[in-house]
Amino acid sequence: MSMETGSIAEPICDAVTLDVVLGALRATQGEMEALIERTAMSPFIREKKDFFVALFDADGDLIVGAYRPSAGDPVRPIFEHYPVENMRTGDLYWYNDCYGSHGSVSHSPDQVFLAPVFIDGQLLGFVQSWAHFADIGGMWPGSISPDCVDIFQEGIIVPPVRLAREGEVNEDLLRLFFRNSRFPDLIKGDTRACLAALRLGERRLVELAGRFGMEVVADAFRQLGARSERAAKARLRAIIPHGQYRFSDEIETDGQGNGPFRIAMELRVGDNGVVLDFSGSDDQAPGPINYLLNPAVPRAMLGMYLLAGDRTLPLNSGAGRAVDEVILRQGSLLQPDWPAPLGQRGLTMMRLLSATMGLINAAGGSSTAANCPYVIYFARGLDAAGEPFLLTDGVGVGYGARPFADGIDAVYYIAQENYPVELMEHTFPVRIRSYGIHRDSGGAGRWRGGCGVIREIEVLAEKATIAIRVDGAESPAWGVGGGINGGAGRAIVNPGHNNERQLDPLSDGNELFRGDIMRLETGGGGGWGHPFDREPEQVLADVRGGFVSQAMAEQQYGVVLSVDGLAVEASATETRRQDRPDVDGLFHRGGYRDELT
Amino acid sequence: MEANTLRYAIAVDTGGTFTDVTLFDRQTGRNWTAKAPSTPSDPSIGFMDGIASALEQAGLAADELAQVFHGTTVATNLILEGKGAKVALLITAGFKHVLEIGRQDIPRNANMFDWVKPKRPVPPEQVFEIPERLDLDGNVLEPLDQEAVRRIVQDLRAQGIDAIAVCFLHSFTEPKHEQQARAIILEEHPDALVSLSSEVLRVFREYERSMATALNVYVMQAVTQYVANLRERLEGVGAAAPLLIMKSNGGVVSAAEVQRVPVHTALSGPAAGVVGARFVGATAGFDDVIGIDIGGTSADICLVKDGQHTVSGNGRVGGWPLPFPMLDIHTVGTGGGSIASVSSDGALTVGPASAGAVPGPACYGRGGGAATVTDAHLVLGHVPPYLLGGGMRLDLDAARQAIDKHVAQPLGLEIEAAARGIIAISNNDMVGAIRVISIERGHDPRDFALVAFGGAGPLHGVALAELLGTRTVIVPPHPGVLSALGLLVSQLRTDYARTCLQTPPDYDVAQIAATYGELKAEAEAWFERENVPPSARKVSHHASLRYRHQGFELRLPWASDDFSPDATLEAFHRLHEQLYTFAQRDTAVEIVTLHVVAEGHFDRIEPSVWPSGRSVADTVIDHLPVSFDAGRRTVPVYDRMKLGAGTDFAGPALIVQLDTTTLIPEGHRVSCDHFGNLIIAAR
Repeated sequence: MSMETGSIAEPICDAVTLDVVLGALRATQGEMEALIERTAMSPFIREKKDFFVALFDADGDLIVGAYRPSAGDPVRPIFEHYPVENMRTGDLYWYNDCYGSHGSVSHSPDQVFLAPVFIDGQLLGFVQSWAHFADIGGMWPGSISPDCVDIFQEGIIVPPVRLAREGEVNEDLLRLFFRNSRFPDLIKGDTRACLAALRLGERRLVELAGRFGMEVVADAFRQLGARSERAAKARLRAIIPHGQYRFSDEIETDGQGNGPFRIAMELRVGDNGVVLDFSGSDDQAPGPINYLLNPAVPRAMLGMYLLAGDRTLPLNSGAGRAVDEVILRQGSLLQPDWPAPLGQRGLTMMRLLSATMGLINAAGGSSTAANCPYVIYFARGLDAAGEPFLLTDGVGVGYGARPFADGIDAVYYIAQENYPVELMEHTFPVRIRSYGIHRDSGGAGRWRGGCGVIREIEVLAEKATIAIRVDGAESPAWGVGGGINGGAGRAIVNPGHNNERQLDPLSDGNELFRGDIMRLETGGGGGWGHPFDREPEQVLADVRGGFVSQAMAEQQYGVVLSVDGLAVEASATETRRQDRPDVDGLFHRGGYRDELT
Repeated sequence: MEANTLRYAIAVDTGGTFTDVTLFDRQTGRNWTAKAPSTPSDPSIGFMDGIASALEQAGLAADELAQVFHGTTVATNLILEGKGAKVALLITAGFKHVLEIGRQDIPRNANMFDWVKPKRPVPPEQVFEIPERLDLDGNVLEPLDQEAVRRIVQDLRAQGIDAIAVCFLHSFTEPKHEQQARAIILEEHPDALVSLSSEVLRVFREYERSMATALNVYVMQAVTQYVANLRERLEGVGAAAPLLIMKSNGGVVSAAEVQRVPVHTALSGPAAGVVGARFVGATAGFDDVIGIDIGGTSADICLVKDGQHTVSGNGRVGGWPLPFPMLDIHTVGTGGGSIASVSSDGALTVGPASAGAVPGPACYGRGGGAATVTDAHLVLGHVPPYLLGGGMRLDLDAARQAIDKHVAQPLGLEIEAAARGIIAISNNDMVGAIRVISIERGHDPRDFALVAFGGAGPLHGVALAELLGTRTVIVPPHPGVLSALGLLVSQLRTDYARTCLQTPPDYDVAQIAATYGELKAEAEAWFERENVPPSARKVSHHASLRYRHQGFELRLPWASDDFSPDATLEAFHRLHEQLYTFAQRDTAVEIVTLHVVAEGHFDRIEPSVWPSGRSVADTVIDHLPVSFDAGRRTVPVYDRMKLGAGTDFAGPALIVQLDTTTLIPEGHRVSCDHFGNLIIAAR
């Protein structure tokens, strides 16, 4: 698709039809999602909902999907192997090849399925379903382990392949794939769900073209991209003056004794365009925290921020065009050389998302504080019947405070749900001892950072081997504009007992036995604005709700409560607040500072 | 339930603006309708005004009434507006923040940078942890700490909190700790209203169950008070008739039953419309209909297949999950008062903001300056500039100005083109909602007739049918009061369900039989409480099944007369294929939940026969210009009440009546059937 948006040609699709088409595309997205949710088989997809669908134009540009910035550029890798002119109706394409897709998939468990949609022999676009499969082989059940040293240990790699030709599915490919999984029944069901969703999406686009005509729908695609592009560009220009801006952050460890690793971003805004430059980031890590970054991802991270507040603007390739160029350095943490391991890139991705907000703050825009990267653990072993089990449990954290609202408490990521306690205990040999808000983990501020959670898991199996990823132990989520950093996360085994031990926050091979309890305390988001500016009543509500302790209320917010914690002592608070800490840095981590690294 | 003792039935549907009443004589088939302004501060006033007006028309005394049916939005409004009681929730120790955490997600179509987690109806400081624990089979791991319950309840009583919800882990398997807690609560706080999760929603997933339980007691005080008020006022005028209230599942129950689980009335209002749409479809000879009820602020859409409305277990009200059996009603925030606007990036949207009844659309001349769907209809001539009966005149200039300013100029369109755009966007939103309850459920809307009702339904019906490829639109004789008719023709109904997990190959037929037996016993006890004579009782069996490892069940009727599951399993494969395009016969099927539906059947209400009228030409009362997509045409305006049964004519036309206008474009034929329904067919 061309980059020009000020085309002089009269639009084929009128203003009203455009929004009718957008409504129909969103309805199609919703229908495809519902189908996957209702028919998929692994808890990771059906209950945690780690799946996404999206619709693309004939060039492979994203038109409509979820507001998720990590989607990459997933159609073009297919073109490299299968020219459009050879595609037919009924074809299906598939891959999970991170390097082969230039980071459109960024760890191997994510499967991408795509179907071209033809109208009278002419390509209209593509429908996509995407889901994280529970196990595709590799060195440990669950496929991605902090122990992996190359991508071969992270499960089978499927390069872009044609899974179906004119409706005829190549069952041989699927048999080969299923044979490589420790849980073939689950991924067989998940595959069927993803493929059925594609057929559904294809049918809906054909109907849409039947209603308005192929040319009108194709033009609507172009206009939807252009509309988001116009809005994102205008907002970027409105909040960021010409200049060069830098932000950097550090990830403590790669889980294999190396680190820290620096992520460095530079934003250059000038008459010649907008450039995002990541080349100052550190070299790649031996461990699997490398994030093979497709340029579409940082574009979408910024684009999503720029589109916030307006639901009529889909997050698509157009929004990403607010950035003219993305510069990456081969061999760096964000552009590693084949075959570096990638399995734990979620941590780096979430840090990068926060770093993008840091960059906007550094550039003078008033953006959010940092999120804590979400936490995940894998538990594997044999259940009472001697059958292998794999528990992959995503655990919520706190997100950064915003200039207009508190950060989100107890949240994982877009669309991804927790496992209910009653489901956990029914499906896996564990008992959940507690699950609640991690008090005092939200960074203090005029707006409070979101709180993380506490989740205590008791092992009921003979033995469980646990891989874990808890970020932010030493470098918690930063605060901004006077806001304080969020609380750190950690994982402890048998807290309060004489055999208490803390787990390495990014590690595998942790052995727990029947009756052992793992307590996860996840980190919170950074605060926004000076904590002394938060209304005392709001601080009181946080204390009463279990988000903030009374001691923290006094120390960090300068709010003195009555002994029973049920009321604000107004005059004591006023006195306390006269001793207002100075803010001498834009960001806060450990103390106020203008740079984090 | 004999006809002679139940001769006069009256139905009262309380809406946002008006309370609609229909009084029906089962012996003669005659009916009378009345309308009274709703009285939101105390809805029982509008309720009684409406009844008095209907009785007066019919020349009846209140003691002649045999049944009073009622659809209410009291519970719905409390939930949507966050105005329920101060609730305390007792929860298993360790899980205080169950409501606060929810499912830990950001909604799929939200932008994380602007999404704010909605405030819970029960704040965490009112959630109290009780030491107790069951395992998943219901075995006691830690006994209930009775002293803790006692202490907390004493405190609550001292603070004046008397709405108490109890939700313990795994209580859907074993409710004894919850029951013990209730006994202690009532000892310490005899006036407390208590709701147990094992009684409100006996299924797994603790967030959804505790939310449903909390919401139940959240609305309990107000609903109980409201129902008691109604009873008192009815008795005050000498009406001793039982009060029967519509639940979200489309059935009615006695006032006493509603007080037990008041949250079951969360969809009471729209449910009555669904039952009405089904009835109208049946009288017009259509067993498969899609009902679309378009009011001032929203459109409620439902589907009836083979004469049965569909029940969903995934209901939500105002952002909160309420997963008990509810009629599958999909609501979109698009109605006659919905406001059209253009964003700074040039996107045209309609709703969910609404001008409401006050100030209302610009054309009402009450100071509303926003461009609404009704204004667009007026500009296009879809409604006459006067209301029938010489009432309010509509201000066409105000409508044109509003659309010009808010839509036409920002988009660079002519005023009429902008008005057509507003209608197109609102129709598209409604088509999206119709697809959700039809196509997404495996039904082709082209196989259904559309029943268009509510004040604005008949204006949109034919356009929606064209977009969907539906061939027939039915407009009932009184589209504005169809919900009241739905109440009149409803049946007593309660659903019972129990988890009974059966995994192949060992389906335990004896256990299935035993579980159905228990559920049936509960149903029989309810029949006794409701005084349903044995001849009027109907019990049907249903089951929820899934493929092994799936997380979502499909509910279907138990397909055989015995308890062997084979026929039901086969029906499940077929249904899965119909809904999702594929069956998985190589995969084990699990039976998850067994359901019993208990219905008490009243005598059938026969629809009133519509008189045959004069010649079509005599019913034309005006000619007016109407703007269609194809251009402007002057069309005849028919008086609906004069159109006789058997009338048949071709569009384009407007058909006007007191409560609505029906728009017939060219290319459609209209006939009036013997029950007064307009049957509109594409040629």
